[in-house]
Amino acid sequence: MTALNSSSFLTNAFFFSSSYGELINCTSLIAEKLACYWPNQLVDEFFIAIHKHYFKNCSISGRSLRDPPNNILYPFLVVPILITLLMTALVVWRSKRSEGIV
Amino acid sequence: VRFTYIFSFLQRMAPSLTSTVNYTDPTLEPVVTEHSPERQKIIDSQFKCYERMNRDPPYRKKGLFCNRTWDGWLCWDDTPAGSFTDQNCPDYFPDFDPTERASKYCDETGNWFRHPESNRTWSNYTLCNSFTSEKLKTALILYYMAIVGHALSITSLLISLGIFFYFKDIFSLLWVLSLSCQRITLHKNLFVSYVLNSVFTIAHLITVVPNPGLVKRDPVSCKVLQFFHQYMLGCNYFWMLCEGIYLHTLIVVAVFAEEQRLHWYYLLGWGFPLVPASIHAVARAKYFNDNCWMSVDTHLLYIVHGPVMAALLVNFFFLLNIVRVLVTKLRDTHRAESNMYMKAVRATLILVPLLGIQFVIIPWRPENRLAGEIYDYIMHILMHYQGLLVATIFCFFNGEVQGALKRQWMQYKTQWGQRRREHCSTRSTSYTATSISEVPVYLNHHDSTNEQLNGKYIDDSELIALKSGETSA
Repeated sequence: MTALNSSSFLTNAFFFSSSYGELINCTSLIAEKLACYWPNQLVDEFFIAIHKHYFKNCSISGRSLRDPPNNILYPFLVVPILITLLMTALVVWRSKRSEGIV
Repeated sequence: VRFTYIFSFLQRMAPSLTSTVNYTDPTLEPVVTEHSPERQKIIDSQFKCYERMNRDPPYRKKGLFCNRTWDGWLCWDDTPAGSFTDQNCPDYFPDFDPTERASKYCDETGNWFRHPESNRTWSNYTLCNSFTSEKLKTALILYYMAIVGHALSITSLLISLGIFFYFKDIFSLLWVLSLSCQRITLHKNLFVSYVLNSVFTIAHLITVVPNPGLVKRDPVSCKVLQFFHQYMLGCNYFWMLCEGIYLHTLIVVAVFAEEQRLHWYYLLGWGFPLVPASIHAVARAKYFNDNCWMSVDTHLLYIVHGPVMAALLVNFFFLLNIVRVLVTKLRDTHRAESNMYMKAVRATLILVPLLGIQFVIIPWRPENRLAGEIYDYIMHILMHYQGLLVATIFCFFNGEVQGALKRQWMQYKTQWGQRRREHCSTRSTSYTATSISEVPVYLNHHDSTNEQLNGKYIDDSELIALKSGETSA
């Protein structure tokens, strides 16, 4: 395995080629051959070493779906509420004005 | 709304009802076979776990502890010796319930618990699928309840719309606040939005929820359906807000005048909900683009639910203000009008808290199994039978509608009686004479009914209002 530079694109590529999955298979086969159960402490240490070496700058949650970071999420949540309140105030004001005209 | 976790539970159950791995067997390793859909989820979890194990700071507390570990399904942190630790069950398998807890024991010597039969480290996943069959039954009952609720809502709302359209001439003859021309128009729009909302919900429940193949294929059409679903949800609550604003303007701002321009109400009720629905669609497509946008685990849903809750709150405050004005200002001077307005406002006052309460109590699902089930049933009734509730309170329980329906029934009865007499005799002139005399009788009858409805007496000012209403409406 060549040393992988960090970026979520490369992390994705790694998963897509299922090298990670094949590595898992490999370790479980070896464990079976050695009559050990899988996973175990050695497997843990092995994978931690892999992560330390190859995935230094990868995102901690991999590819799974998650909410955007808070600085993007909060504007998305707050802006519609503000627009709603503004629109309500506008409608109340306009219906008051049409009363005055009639 | 978060009730969809029940439907996503049903979704996951659809392919098979048995787990692919017998996890209670202590000798079996939790490694799933190749090419199973759960495998990618497990690999993702494993990656996350080792990342966390790599980056989390080392254990700093005193005493023995068990090292952090990946047990094949879940990630376990450093745990002090002699204690249990637990976390939510994974959702890899159809019959694993992610709201149940899986646990692991770290013994006094600082080693993870080993199952006595196989002598390997073992985590306790027994609770994850032990209650699944009961939960599936409950989920199915709730599913069918939802479909029945929406079907009943559509039926009752269409009947109410029919009543409003058919009797509009009769209602417009008299200016009765609880059913003035403009208020009926607002009711009609509200009912139409409820009908459309129920239609889209039933379409979603029947085509998407029981169909995991469709969700896996993830066509654009199911996301479009979800977009319209969110739009109609917004329309429902914004039309309720329009009703509240109309009453508020009528009673608090400019008392007794009726003619408001409804253009802005149409804009708020039909046009504005496009804004949160579109923002939600864009945000979802960009940041949380799961299959068919079915997941409820994202805060992006609040892009639609936030404005809905804001609309409910604003509506509630308007109604409280109306009640305050009616009780304090009009009580002493205009008792009859105050009563009349109270009766008109009563329906809206009952409905808004009922519609809003589901948003208030949703976060507080009880932990206890039985209480949780009762909570689920109540929430489902509140959510899926809303259309029926709105039609009943605004239309069927309305005094004027009941009066009009009774009069229509009496008219039919006398007309049938006349026609039967006609068969026996050939005097058609008596029929027309009788039907002409019906009309003034009917008007007088309505006046007396009005008196009864208002409870006591009719003020002079109310009579004036009645007369002027005839000319304006």
